[in-house]
Amino acid sequence: MSRAPSLSGPLPGPFHPRLEAASTAKDWADWAGVLSPRKLDATGREYFAIRNQAALIDISPMRKYRIEGPEAERVLNRVVTRDVAKIAPGRVGYALWCDEDGMAIDDGTIFRLGPERFRLCCQERMLTWLIDAAEGLDAAVSDETEALAALALQGPTSFSVLEAAGLQVSSLRPFDLAEPEPGLLVSRTGFTGDLGYELWIATEHALALWDRLIEAGRVFGILPAGMEALDMARIEAGFPMTGFDFQSIHAAERPSRGRTPFELGLGRHVDFAKGHFNGRRALLALKEEPPKRRLVTLDIDGSRAASGALLYRRGMFGRWREVGHVTSALWSPTAKRNVAFAEIEGEAEGADLFAEIYLFKEGKWERRMARARPGPRAAFRPDRARATPPARR
Amino acid sequence: MAERLKAAVIGAGVNGLVAAAALARGGCEVTVIERGAAPGGMMALGLFARGPHPAALEALGLKPGALGPAIPTVALCPSGRHVLVEGAEARFADGSAHPGAERWRVLSRRLDRFAAALAPLLTGAPPPMRLRAEGLPGLLRFALRLRLLGARDMRELLRIGLSNAADLAADALPEGPLAGLLAFDSVLGSRAGPMAPGTVVPLLLRRAPLRRMEGLAARLAAASEGKGARLRLGAGAARILFEDDRAHGVLLDDGERVEADLVLSSLGAAQTLALAGPALFDIEAQRRIGAIRAQGAAARVDLDFAAPPRLPGLDPAHHGARLVLAPSVQAVEPAYDPVKYGRLPALPVMEGRIDGARLSLTVQCVPHDAPRDRIVAATLAALETVAPGLGGEVRHAGALSPADIEAMTGAPGGHWHHGEIALDQFLTLRPANGMARHAMGPPGLFLCGAGAHPGGDVTGLPGLNGARAALEAMR
Amino acid sequence: MSQARSYDAIIAGGGHNGLTAGAYLARAGLSVLVVERSDIVGGAAVSRELEPGWTYSNCSYVCSLLRPEVARDLDLARHGLQVIPYTGGASFTKGGEYFAYHHDQRALEREIARLSPRDVEGYERFARAVTRQCRFVRPLLLRSAPDPASFHPRDLGELLFLLRRLHDLGEREMGEAVRFWTASVGDFLDGFIEHPLIKAHLAGSGIIGTGLGVYSPGTAYVLLHHYMGDLDGAIGAWGFARGGMGAVSAALAGALRAAGGEIRVNAEVERILVKDGAAAGVVLKGGEEIRAPLVASNMDAKRTFLGCVEPGALPDDFLDAVRRFRIRGSSAKLNIALDGPPVFPAVKGEAPFLSGDLHASESLLELEAAYDDWKEGRFSAAPYFDMLIPSRIDPTMAPPGAHMASIFVQYAPYDLARDGVRDPAHWDEAAREGLKAAVLDKIEAVSPGFRGLIRHSELRAPVDIEREVGLSEGNIFQGELTFDQLLFNRPVPGWARHRSPLPGLWLVGSSAHPGGGVMAAAGANAAREILRDMKRGGRDEAAFRAA
Ligand SMILES: Cc1cc2nc3c(=O)[nH]c(=O)nc-3n(C[C@H](O)[C@H](O)[C@H](O)COP(=O)(O)OP(=O)(O)OC[C@H]3O[C@@H](n4cnc5c(N)ncnc54)[C@H](O)[C@@H]3O)c2cc1C
Ligand SMILES: Cc1cc2nc3c(=O)[nH]c(=O)nc-3n(C[C@H](O)[C@H](O)[C@H](O)COP(=O)(O)OP(=O)(O)OC[C@H]3O[C@@H](n4cnc5c(N)ncnc54)[C@H](O)[C@@H]3O)c2cc1C
Repeated sequence: MSRAPSLSGPLPGPFHPRLEAASTAKDWADWAGVLSPRKLDATGREYFAIRNQAALIDISPMRKYRIEGPEAERVLNRVVTRDVAKIAPGRVGYALWCDEDGMAIDDGTIFRLGPERFRLCCQERMLTWLIDAAEGLDAAVSDETEALAALALQGPTSFSVLEAAGLQVSSLRPFDLAEPEPGLLVSRTGFTGDLGYELWIATEHALALWDRLIEAGRVFGILPAGMEALDMARIEAGFPMTGFDFQSIHAAERPSRGRTPFELGLGRHVDFAKGHFNGRRALLALKEEPPKRRLVTLDIDGSRAASGALLYRRGMFGRWREVGHVTSALWSPTAKRNVAFAEIEGEAEGADLFAEIYLFKEGKWERRMARARPGPRAAFRPDRARATPPARR
Repeated sequence: MAERLKAAVIGAGVNGLVAAAALARGGCEVTVIERGAAPGGMMALGLFARGPHPAALEALGLKPGALGPAIPTVALCPSGRHVLVEGAEARFADGSAHPGAERWRVLSRRLDRFAAALAPLLTGAPPPMRLRAEGLPGLLRFALRLRLLGARDMRELLRIGLSNAADLAADALPEGPLAGLLAFDSVLGSRAGPMAPGTVVPLLLRRAPLRRMEGLAARLAAASEGKGARLRLGAGAARILFEDDRAHGVLLDDGERVEADLVLSSLGAAQTLALAGPALFDIEAQRRIGAIRAQGAAARVDLDFAAPPRLPGLDPAHHGARLVLAPSVQAVEPAYDPVKYGRLPALPVMEGRIDGARLSLTVQCVPHDAPRDRIVAATLAALETVAPGLGGEVRHAGALSPADIEAMTGAPGGHWHHGEIALDQFLTLRPANGMARHAMGPPGLFLCGAGAHPGGDVTGLPGLNGARAALEAMR
Repeated sequence: MSQARSYDAIIAGGGHNGLTAGAYLARAGLSVLVVERSDIVGGAAVSRELEPGWTYSNCSYVCSLLRPEVARDLDLARHGLQVIPYTGGASFTKGGEYFAYHHDQRALEREIARLSPRDVEGYERFARAVTRQCRFVRPLLLRSAPDPASFHPRDLGELLFLLRRLHDLGEREMGEAVRFWTASVGDFLDGFIEHPLIKAHLAGSGIIGTGLGVYSPGTAYVLLHHYMGDLDGAIGAWGFARGGMGAVSAALAGALRAAGGEIRVNAEVERILVKDGAAAGVVLKGGEEIRAPLVASNMDAKRTFLGCVEPGALPDDFLDAVRRFRIRGSSAKLNIALDGPPVFPAVKGEAPFLSGDLHASESLLELEAAYDDWKEGRFSAAPYFDMLIPSRIDPTMAPPGAHMASIFVQYAPYDLARDGVRDPAHWDEAAREGLKAAVLDKIEAVSPGFRGLIRHSELRAPVDIEREVGLSEGNIFQGELTFDQLLFNRPVPGWARHRSPLPGLWLVGSSAHPGGGVMAAAGANAAREILRDMKRGGRDEAAFRAA
């Protein structure tokens, strides 16, 4: 028996036929091994669909794990820093988790499907981590990444789209989840900071769901969107991203790249009162020390996004002293601000910072030192994101 | 002054007993919890002890002189020209001079010097991976002793410490029973042949004279009790209790709770983790503990005869000596190969002693769950090479495989050292990376058995070091 | 023949390290002569045409360890060296299954997941651990090893550098580093990966050229030694030197000549001349004397100090230490000219990984058993092999449509046992045929019809490698890479810095730090030490540090 060699590069995901058809830009990227659109048509249009109508985004490449059993809650509590007991059935909770030294591995969302049933969604591969966490505990772990397709439907008309598609979700508050039809899970969650939902369905029903939403959404301005538009929205909304704003310690060749929740500004998600969890003892000790560096949001002068810029402050004799770097940056079309996530040295907090931005002006590179001030965590998170029942437009 | 600290020690083997004595001396109220009916643990399986180490004896309040006389070793040879070894001296058992005697002496002295240089690393915390207070004095003393060795010896120690016993023997000794003895001692209790790099280390840990094991367990137990430790026999630890992420006591099989501020376990790290519950450990720690190699390869065999068995060339005056059947390095190395594939070698290597009409043996190179009759058969086959016909005279034979020993004593894999002694499981890496200072995660819980630094044999050092680490942590 | 004259430096042996050292010395302005016993330079890095039209890299066969710093310093590309990467490899089973290694991350993930989903993460962890260690070790390759017993400021400086780097790793990684240096490749892999075939595939690098088994402590380091190469920054990537490994040596020889150095082939050193307690030149076989105040030997430590220096010129304890230096042959090489491409029925269609390293060992225990045979003086009944078909990538290796197979075989002892007696003379025709059959049987089982493609083949047992290349006992690294023979212990404690007790006599081959492989590091390090000694300053410390 012979077989063809394993294929290289990203492969089509569950929505690929539709994405392919919708793609005029033909601009594809590799998201966790799945062929994913950077944009389908034009990033700007797709971004404004998120902020003004409804955008439909394939998020199937997210890793999805099922943890089930009488001690499933204990398994997750062993892993994540927050108290999973506080997530009621039918609710979704944000969580992050750390290695033994208290360095962040990844963050994601925990769906409590029932008292003893959970789903964990995240970016990094966590199968063996979860399996090992379940050792000696009565719970089973399985990888649902391939079996489960996922769509994000985000934007002010997203509720109307669902309603028009015949899905009853009006009572869902933020972070609620429901199963309006057997096999279709809808959660009021998302990565855009706007009103929005995520839909989870077995891969074989993926295309039908897509068609149904597009059909229902036509009058509400629904538009398929790519990763770039989603990235813009999440920076505006102030959501840091593993692999960009910090490195998973599990992916870091240099151990010194590890970051604690405190350094990431996520200290409030660490619950020392819930008993032991991975890295708890290390974090207890770290809590007492001032963080060496901090992930902050900045508001930078000018309108050129400061992607990759190094950050400086004035040192002795007026010399520039490097104190950090920008991890993600965006000119926010909605907030009309030049925003960025940046990592800065602890002692540089509160200092006058400057971002070194390189501009290519008609064949010539120029350098600009742009003033960078502390910005709000979220440049744009509209109230409609939280209103229940949600607005229809 | 605060109330007296309470300490619970799990296991009354040599290390549990020494730890208890050291804790009692440090002011703790100590309970030793032992599953068996008598203290001693795996000492009951041993024939000869090189210890306890003077530092452990001191904790017990015993004098080194009190352990009885040192006994010689007879390295058996199929030719009947057995070699009598007393420390650095070697001659043929018939009294005549051995041609390798001078080389044996030179090597023994060299190993003694190296062992002395290494000593500070064994009686305290292993060298720290970062420069910090604990472990530093030991490291500095070690560095100083290394320097005092002189450049030549220092280089040589750094070389052979990383080398293997077979090469050491080949460079220093003529092939034969003396070289075989060296090779045997380098892997006794381990699951590796003398050609494996790192096998010189056990030789450096085994420089003290040998004494009979009999009665030692009882004496150590009495000494430990004399220091104030309470022995609680006949009930095992069922669970280690925690409160607010601190060890808080031990729940026994019979339902009794022993309250404690400190819990020291002389069991293997994996067994201790199971008693505490994995959820108290970081996943990385659990993985490291799961990866500890602990597959025993030593069996105990007792052969009963109608009368004291006779081995050609062996003077009955030497029946009480340690008899080692490992006639050459060439015999020891291949004996280890089959074990890797779960098979018994045709000719295992062994040490033993004749007590009246009984020949008691520790047989090496036995796979974990080898059937007892097969162990006896292989043992006899090897003995026949020095005493043809001996097998026919056996009235009764008993054997304990590593699996039996595991079941009896709870030792991980029935392993002599509770975990292979190899360079990647030694010093700062024993029992596993990050746990060498006897703490293994949950505060208040410490390891003090052979699986901890610096390893097994009846030295009491892991017990002593574990107790010291625990006391230090409370300070 | 040119008239005998004197030089500033004589390099005894024209292996790639000798050529490297010579080139650096010549560039520093010394008059340099390389004398090589064989009819071509290169030592174990040569290309030969044994069958018209086919190029045999008949000893070393793949290139990655070559330090990029050296290639750049000596401008090897200008002298004709091109290294072309290959991007995968595979291990086949008798049952028709295989595991393919892909450099493409996604293909590799899918391939691992196909065999064992849990191993995808295990492999990620393994790769990260190896990468972290490579990052730590690589900078040490082109530095001198400190002597911990010395109070010399440079030793203290180097020791401090080493300790600082260790310290910078952080406590836990430092423990992992020590574990990596002391663990067996088998135990190490067991800690990450479950599937036996994947483990067997990865473990090969831990035993190549080494008289140790996959479960012998220290083999994890040997694996690291093989992963340390970096082709264009990709750690662990290997490639073919276009034109075979002789291209490396030819480029080095070109660089040497361009700097004014001379090379004489068919010139075997019989003895190193000693005058007034110092090296004074060499005496060639046939009696010719060539003088130089500096003799740099590219021969291994045993051949140099025990074979070529007159008794009495070196202290006894030094000679004892050299005798103790372990240099055991454990490898053989089978080079085959093929009339067509070998077929692997397990693979449907064309696959890039067939251009990489191919194996047929299925488990760690199978590899361990191959080692047991060697310990007892037999070649492995089921040997581990590392087969490459460079002609799939390099058009210069064979006529169009035809192929060349380069098969490295582990284990074969130097002194084969027969009737309880071990003797290299036991490598007779029958023994050679026996080993060849053992290898071909394994290949035939995964590539039926392979035998029928053979047009010409040569088997090089350890004795042949010794005879032809001058590597004692046929040890491919000029001395085992066990940790008692690395860094400050290489080749002997106290003499890790290329010097010897005989003033003017230096060691520039793989017997010296950092050891074997076509790395050119020993030669470059030696040149640096020599020039420093002469206060000439060659490749300066800063440049090395930047590297
Ligand atoms: C066959 C054999 C022969 C040996 N011969 C020699 C020799 O000649 N010389 C020598 O120096 N060394 C010898 N050794 C090794 C030596 O015996 C050990 O290294 C040493 O005794 C270990 O002591 P310990 O206190 O760490 O552990 P152990 O002696 O294993 O003590 C652990 C104790 O814990 C108890 N225990 C286990 N589980 C529980 C529980 N749940 N609750 C309460 N108690 C529990 C056990 O009953 C045991 O008493 C031999 C080992 C073997 C296997
Ligand atoms: C079969 C085999 C396969 C290998 N595969 C690889 C591989 O794929 N990749 C890799 O990186 N490494 C490989 N190696 C290892 C690598 O080839 C060697 O470690 C390296 O080439 C050694 O280089 P060297 O310059 O230090 O010594 P050598 O190449 O041994 O050079 C020594 C030179 O000295 C000469 N010489 C000896 N005695 C005298 C004398 N008396 N007078 C004059 N000259 C003398 C010899 O002829 C030789 O040219 C392999 C080795 C072998 C044997």
